[in-house]
Amino acid sequence: MTMRRTCGALAAMLIASSAFATVAFADTMTMWVRASGTNAAAHLVNLWNATHGDKIELTTIPDNQMVTKLATGVQAGEVPDLVSFDLIYMPDFMKAGFLIDLTAELKADPNYASVAQAYKDIATYEGKIYGAGFTPDVSILVWNKDLFKKAGLDPDKPPRTIGEIHADAKKIRALGGDIYGFYFSGACPGCNIFTTSPMMVAAGSKMLPANGNDTALTGEGVKDVLETFKEMWDEGLVPKSAQTDNGANFTAEFKTGKIGIQGTGGFLLSELKKDVPNLNFGVTFLPGVKEGQVSSFVGGDVVAIPKGSKHVPLAKKFIAWELTDEAQLEGLAKNNILPSRPALANNKYFAADPRVIVTAKALGVGYVPWVYHFADMVNSDSSPWINMLQRAIFDGDVDGAIKEGREKMKEIAGE
Amino acid sequence: MAPALVFVGLFVMIPLGQLVAISLTDRSLLGGDRFIGLANYWRIWGDSSFWRALEFTAKYTLILTPILMVLGFALALLTVENTPLKRLTRTIVFLPVVIGLASSSLLWFWLLDEQVGLLNKLLVDLHIIHEPIVWFANANSAFWAVVISITWKVVGFGMVLFVAGIQSINADILEAALMDGASYWKRVRLIIVPLTRRVMLLATLISAIGSMLAFDQFYIMTSGGPRGETFTAVYWIYQNSFISFRLGYGAALSIVLTLIILVFATMQIALTARSVET
Repeated sequence: MTMRRTCGALAAMLIASSAFATVAFADTMTMWVRASGTNAAAHLVNLWNATHGDKIELTTIPDNQMVTKLATGVQAGEVPDLVSFDLIYMPDFMKAGFLIDLTAELKADPNYASVAQAYKDIATYEGKIYGAGFTPDVSILVWNKDLFKKAGLDPDKPPRTIGEIHADAKKIRALGGDIYGFYFSGACPGCNIFTTSPMMVAAGSKMLPANGNDTALTGEGVKDVLETFKEMWDEGLVPKSAQTDNGANFTAEFKTGKIGIQGTGGFLLSELKKDVPNLNFGVTFLPGVKEGQVSSFVGGDVVAIPKGSKHVPLAKKFIAWELTDEAQLEGLAKNNILPSRPALANNKYFAADPRVIVTAKALGVGYVPWVYHFADMVNSDSSPWINMLQRAIFDGDVDGAIKEGREKMKEIAGE
Repeated sequence: MAPALVFVGLFVMIPLGQLVAISLTDRSLLGGDRFIGLANYWRIWGDSSFWRALEFTAKYTLILTPILMVLGFALALLTVENTPLKRLTRTIVFLPVVIGLASSSLLWFWLLDEQVGLLNKLLVDLHIIHEPIVWFANANSAFWAVVISITWKVVGFGMVLFVAGIQSINADILEAALMDGASYWKRVRLIIVPLTRRVMLLATLISAIGSMLAFDQFYIMTSGGPRGETFTAVYWIYQNSFISFRLGYGAALSIVLTLIILVFATMQIALTARSVET
């Protein structure tokens, strides 16, 4: 009896201690994500939390505060274990030494090999890798098939060049009233680097300089695209409100069903399907000047481990996990979010909607500029990029605008 | 005295000293904190964008301040008596003061919108204009849109100050003038205005300094556009400090702006004090 009791007590202790061990050794990591990436990140984090003993606590940081928070956090030693931020800041963060080197782990990871090249490029600094694609987005061209039909255009034939965008927009505008052929947010630098610059890149232009000796805005593509936009503006094919749209109406205009063609982001697909399910639209790559020229801007967030993270091995495990088929398909694709591995574009979740597959494939033809001071050159309200667009399109001085843009960008890159 | 000195030291002098120290470095949010002497100040000298922003800020201040003073004073004259209707009017005019500046700027941004804005709809419906005005497409109309919104937002504050000033005038003086046959405008010009000069100085100073530090309204309504033509000095400091991450340069710009405001405020106080004495 005593023996049995002792064994029972021992067994109970073992069970209790193993339960205690689970609790004691399960860690909770912290992760910061910028506001515009929260939705996508939450799907991945929820899946991780549901399938792992170690948990992640997600904290949303307003987009425009992420750099300040991370920079001050690194300096004060108060950082999260993982951070998801706009990929465009990667060069600045890597150079500043904010991030932990992931080269050994990612080079050995077979899933990493199939990550979109743009993500690999942007997260590499002096031969070392500091992050991985996390919640991707990519720019695309959308067209309203119903308006195409009404204007006598083939609704299944999207424009293949910027010249065709112009010609189609003219026919759609001819429908009259408040129906317009084309839309772009004329006062939004970020929206335009996302949707307008790929047209220039597709036509062979190079956008931003990597340093003070590098060239900026090279090639005829820049001029061709600006001139086409200017003509469309002059001909009234674009709503007047576009001139002052700082991005507030970037997605709203196309949803009204009164815009024929617009460059936008992959994120709009799920919004359109949810908000205006009856809108009949198509998706294609952003075109260049000649047929066959296509490109896109690879955006979205990268995930990295900031220096000072208290759970580095676990954070590395998470990064490896988020590149697996399970995370890419069940965490992202299942929720209409693009995987960062373009090879997974043809999956069971996207099969029902070829438009999503086109969007996912755009990752494979996309570019992302590897430059320091991107915010200065492009994103700021006084950037040479937005000044060039506005001067060229709304003031009509295309050559002067490009010349000024080149000079200012070189000046910033040389700092 | 001592507690006041401690307060000023802790909350004004030490942060100001730190700001000066940062302005002598190349500190950036992305690293770098070398002592570079006066290099940031030399850079300001050649920063045409800053001087353009400062010029725009001065124009904004010089136009907005008289509008606020004249309107505030006129409203005070109209509502100075303590009748129920006038008290209600004062409350209504003062209400926007308690709304946050960011909220009121957003409110006006949408009111002036060319597609859904009520103002454009009203003007079109009244056949004053044929098609909606794109207020923020042009630097001039964007400027006036902000001036209108700020006037609506803060004119009540000046009015309340002036009402208090006018009500503190000895009623006997005004009565004596009335008995002597002085007209309303004579009483305003020769008694009320001179006896409320100190209030005017205070209201002008608050308004002018507030305008020199304008940021929220332009950040929300114009984003500095079109083509950077509506950047204010503080907006430019913000751009450098938190968009370009140049904290050292941003600190130097802040010091320069503080000195400029200090000089103008001192001149204004001196001039007004002299006129009050005479």
